[in-house]
Amino acid sequence: MELFLQRLFDGLSQGSVYALIALGLVIIYRGTGHLNFAQGEMALFCTYVVYQLGEWGFPIGIALPIGMLVGFALGAVTEVTLIRPIAKKSAFAVFIVTLGLFQFLNWLDGAIWADQPLPNSGVGSNQQSFPSLFPNKPDDFVTIFGAAIRLQSIGVFLLVLVLFGLLYLLFNFTKLGLSMNAVASNAESAKLVGIRTNLVLMTSWGLAAAIGAVGGVVFAGINSNVNLSLMFGVFIYASAAATLGGFDSPGGAVLGGLIIGVIENLAAGYFPKWVGQEMKVGVALMVILVVLLVKPSGLFGTAKVERV
Amino acid sequence: MKPIAIRSGGAASWAIRLVVTALLVYLAFWIPTSASNGVIDTCITALTLMAAAMALNLLLGYTGQISIGHSAFFGIGAYATGILVSRYGWSPFQTFAVAFVVAFVVGALVSLPALRIKGVYLALVTLALALVFPQMIKWPKLVWLTGGARGLDNTGFKFTKDNPTYEIFGWNPWGSLRGENVKPFHYWIAMVIVVIVYLACRGVVKSRAGRSLVAIRDNETAAAVMGVNLAGTKALAFGLSAALCSLPGCLSAIRTGNVTPDSTNLTVQGSITFLIVMVVGGAGSLWGPIVGSVLFVFITERTGDWSDPDAIPGLLRPLFSWSSTPPGTGIFAIILIVLMFVAPFGIVGMWRRFQARFVVVVPRPAGTGTITEPVAAPAEA
Repeated sequence: MELFLQRLFDGLSQGSVYALIALGLVIIYRGTGHLNFAQGEMALFCTYVVYQLGEWGFPIGIALPIGMLVGFALGAVTEVTLIRPIAKKSAFAVFIVTLGLFQFLNWLDGAIWADQPLPNSGVGSNQQSFPSLFPNKPDDFVTIFGAAIRLQSIGVFLLVLVLFGLLYLLFNFTKLGLSMNAVASNAESAKLVGIRTNLVLMTSWGLAAAIGAVGGVVFAGINSNVNLSLMFGVFIYASAAATLGGFDSPGGAVLGGLIIGVIENLAAGYFPKWVGQEMKVGVALMVILVVLLVKPSGLFGTAKVERV
Repeated sequence: MKPIAIRSGGAASWAIRLVVTALLVYLAFWIPTSASNGVIDTCITALTLMAAAMALNLLLGYTGQISIGHSAFFGIGAYATGILVSRYGWSPFQTFAVAFVVAFVVGALVSLPALRIKGVYLALVTLALALVFPQMIKWPKLVWLTGGARGLDNTGFKFTKDNPTYEIFGWNPWGSLRGENVKPFHYWIAMVIVVIVYLACRGVVKSRAGRSLVAIRDNETAAAVMGVNLAGTKALAFGLSAALCSLPGCLSAIRTGNVTPDSTNLTVQGSITFLIVMVVGGAGSLWGPIVGSVLFVFITERTGDWSDPDAIPGLLRPLFSWSSTPPGTGIFAIILIVLMFVAPFGIVGMWRRFQARFVVVVPRPAGTGTITEPVAAPAEA
């Protein structure tokens, strides 16, 4: 029981990271129907920025909002300068451009911060480990039914719930959110009733990257360092989460992320020989495959009707 | 200026073909005999990338199925050779056939979900495949076979005595094939692989099967209506593309003499490189991957020592001297993004547009052996 609870909470806190990246994917997909392959790398760039701010002495409470702002700007600029003009050509071109962006951002991170886990006392980092948003000392845990649950896990999980709540309010009770919904359901009609679709799409991309930034920072906090390949795995888990929840459902993305995180941790914990740490990513592959084959729209997504 | 018209299959077109082929053959023989070992090594890298990108082109450029999983097929080749040579003592040449068959079967299996999963979703599935492959190699259940994270050693040729040199009347056109780990020897293997992959792609593309691939790419429903067997054709495209991609994988194991699951071409980074190289060169054209991989290797080699600011040519120095990481990948990513805006069909597509201003190739009329004057269409009333 204790072991089960522990694995469950580990799964939930990792799943929270997947949920955050998946939320970004879904917000972009709803708006434009594109899958942003650079989502993870955008988040990684912001995470590096937060690390750098920490080096300059900013506490994480200030560094994270600045990182999110950087993410917002990065997403918005990407949409306006790259995605919008190329989307007129073909969906394949958008895919290639996001892939190019993936490659470029990963190179840029490496060029600025070099290929090594940071913080690193070898290159004179002032910080001991990547700043965590929540108390993360060895004795920061609470005991529930005999299982030691780290405060960090609980905090991360709550953070995702709060963020999702805020997004829910944004989507349902603000003018911006309602116009996002309108653009998502029918861009052309939205334009006709006077919604500035360009502005909405720009904001969607910015918002997605900003949420991704939170995900990156949280994950680096759990991982206690940031490195160039931090987000490769997270991205595939996040896409598995978005697939499971349905690519156009934010709630589905959050739930999908949590489910994937829990499944992955339980599978690795209870089948150490067959799954273990090595084949965790195989679980993600299986989830993607099964969902796409059995119910392509995911748990909460709307089925796409195609006209031929 | 009016462009010059050249008849396809006419004397002028054959003359151009002959000259280009002669130049390429001359270059192919010049490199191993006269170039330095470093240059030969770079060429082997380019040829490896070329073969992999060509194999991917068959699937992505012609059939329109996005795959970010080709590093797994490359890896199947590398591990087929690695396991058979180091564990069972096969000769490396025999392992190519095994790699081909195994990769073909795996590729055809991947095509099964591709019947229902399309576009970027297929990209996701194959991306997951690329991430799973290195993990599977490290899987404790398979370590007895794959050697786990440590990888396998002694997977290349063992040169115990002097190899024959195959001189022709005292003249040796092949370069030095003697000694241990000789570069020209690996160069010729790479060259043969590239020629085989090129001919296979060309053969498929110019045949009936190739037309059905393009039909699937352009409109799947229409292709099915026209009588193209979707399942069979996709399985063939996936299988053949995977099988061809495994051949350069075998070479990589032979060349370095060891295989590890984390070497660049076996991870996701490898898949992305194959894809980017192919798109920059020109997706859906036989020459695209060739041009793309040569450009890619040229740029990465040329910028490899740019961590030292003094090595950067004058004008570019202020742009790149701030970082100690070689800017090759970044430059190529920028080229990719810019190309998607100005020339979606890559460098080859750009060249064709440019060339069309000066020379027009008139195709042979379909179904006739000889060229006849076109009959003037009757004027409509």
